[in-house]
Amino acid sequence: MADELEPVAVDRHTVLATAVFGGLLLVGAVLVIVDAVRLPTTSAVVGPAAVPLPIGVALGAVGAGLLVDARRKLSTARSGAPWQPRAGLRVLALVAALVGFALLLPLLGYVVTATGLFVAAALLLGAPRDWRVVAWGWALAAVVFLVFDRLIGLTLPAGPWGF
Amino acid sequence: MDGVTLLLEGFASALTPEHLLWALIGVTIGTAVGVLPGIGPALTVALLLPITFRLEPSSALIMFAGIYYGGMYGGSTTSILLNTPGESASMISALEGNKMARAGRAAAALATAALGSFVAGTIGTVALTFLAPVVADFATGFGPPEYVALMAVAFVTVSALLGPNLLKGLASLLVGIAIGLIGIDAQTGQPRLTYGIDALLDGIDVVIVVVALFALSEAFGHLLTGTGHSTVEPLRGPAVLSRSDFRRSWPAWLRGTALGFPIGSLPAGGAEVPTFLSYAAEKRLTKHPEEFGRGAIEGVAGPEAANNAAAAGVLVPLLTIGLPTSATAAVILTAFQSYGLQPGPQLFSESGELVWTLVASLYVGNVMLLVLNLPLVRMWARLLTIPAYAIYAGVLVFATLGAYAAGGTTVDLLVLCGLGLLGLLMRTAGVPVAPAVVGLILGPLAEQQLRRALTLSEGDPSILVSSPITVFLWIVVVLALLIPLVLPVAKRRRRALTEVR
Repeated sequence: MADELEPVAVDRHTVLATAVFGGLLLVGAVLVIVDAVRLPTTSAVVGPAAVPLPIGVALGAVGAGLLVDARRKLSTARSGAPWQPRAGLRVLALVAALVGFALLLPLLGYVVTATGLFVAAALLLGAPRDWRVVAWGWALAAVVFLVFDRLIGLTLPAGPWGF
Repeated sequence: MDGVTLLLEGFASALTPEHLLWALIGVTIGTAVGVLPGIGPALTVALLLPITFRLEPSSALIMFAGIYYGGMYGGSTTSILLNTPGESASMISALEGNKMARAGRAAAALATAALGSFVAGTIGTVALTFLAPVVADFATGFGPPEYVALMAVAFVTVSALLGPNLLKGLASLLVGIAIGLIGIDAQTGQPRLTYGIDALLDGIDVVIVVVALFALSEAFGHLLTGTGHSTVEPLRGPAVLSRSDFRRSWPAWLRGTALGFPIGSLPAGGAEVPTFLSYAAEKRLTKHPEEFGRGAIEGVAGPEAANNAAAAGVLVPLLTIGLPTSATAAVILTAFQSYGLQPGPQLFSESGELVWTLVASLYVGNVMLLVLNLPLVRMWARLLTIPAYAIYAGVLVFATLGAYAAGGTTVDLLVLCGLGLLGLLMRTAGVPVAPAVVGLILGPLAEQQLRRALTLSEGDPSILVSSPITVFLWIVVVLALLIPLVLPVAKRRRRALTEVR
């Protein structure tokens, strides 16, 4: 009973993601090795490149292994749980919201940008279009700002209006 | 001085009103955050770490201990009522616990989990009190070669025991080690993998990586699959155990503790292994085999106890050797470093007072959690009715806050976002993220020790196997690579994982 694990067909999404991840590791391997090779030799017995080089090689080997594994399993993969409609777009939109948050934070201050991030994320995750979402986000951001900036002394960007 | 005297001094420090207050705040917010679905102990401690940044070290440690144990308690409440375990360690309690909740026995399941966690946590902390100084004494004789071998054991076991297969575990570990390479090389001052970006010179903060891989990937993941309609099982009446439930629970608690602490305290990864072993043991020993799979109380009591005992056990290699063997332990190590403490054999001699205060506050936190959880469990359960979109949007707000507090620049937030996408890819590919966190923390330490060892021997690698301990440890490494292929436990565990998914 314990042995009937292997034949279970894998989710197609998992296989494809494994392939992409494997490819990414190969890219990472190249970056790590190129960076290690350009490091100057130093007087130290073991230089700064001694560890990155084998790590880069291992990254490449494991990345290739994952690609082979994914290739092998692709033919038997079944389609698993379906994704949401426009799932990719939703992820992209959240990335955009996060990047926007990072760039606008020093300009607009913490409370406004964090509220924006909360509202964007909540709507993308399927919140009803309702002013209460904005109110919740504003309340959370304000509490965080009060507790962390005023109480704990972790300086958060204030923006032109001081919060 | 002997451990007991030192521990009593630790209690004297932990029991001051101010420190008790910090402990109370710690367990309360630890439980509150740990209860939220999809947020396991590692993420709880990482998200809440910034709160402790500005406190003095002893208060920070005490609060942190509370957050750690509170996060563990909160996690089991979620697995029982909602069947969304935040970490693989609580998956097993979800197996029987959620079935019990569906059968209207949520109160008994929560009570046995809370009491079992208390019993195991207390016994585990007592064992920690006596074991840690011994290990620390023993570890003072370790040189760089021993550390390299120990870290190799941790690397291999963490990769082999977490996740669906060794290859994916290793991939995750290597990603962590590679991220750990970023920044200025401490020994030669050479910048590595920084591409001229100043903010990368200090490396990427562990908090950012943990928050990205655990929290952002969770939020991204829900964008792909939708938040779904999970049903919170209703909780009727207070969390109490009937006499027969108690009679069935206590042997399971003790067996779980007996499995959890020793395995957790090994300098090898896999703190959740004892929960699987405990479940298997209870299933074999039970007098009610027909209940297993339908909500057997032993199946909650044993694994919960094992999980908490292991959480105390993990602190042994962490405090005495500076060796984190789980994602949570890796974050705790970061916390120590941010308070200016370096775990290792010297920690007990140099900052003994702080360590014993920490150990004492673990006892205190455990008692507080029991007092707080049994009567208040319905209030925590109410947190589960917050809509999923609000939880994950809130998690994002805290994740960005944690990243900003740890780094303080726009680049840190962009790195957070990029690593979150990497985490999403890993999740979708079934690659475990915990080995990456351990690799990130241990990688630079291992490199440092390796280069120290090779500098001592002037480049001769035979120094790495120069003592009996190192030879033994390297044999363990080889075995750990081979055993998962044949050991039935690993298969059973993988089976359990597949079932839960």
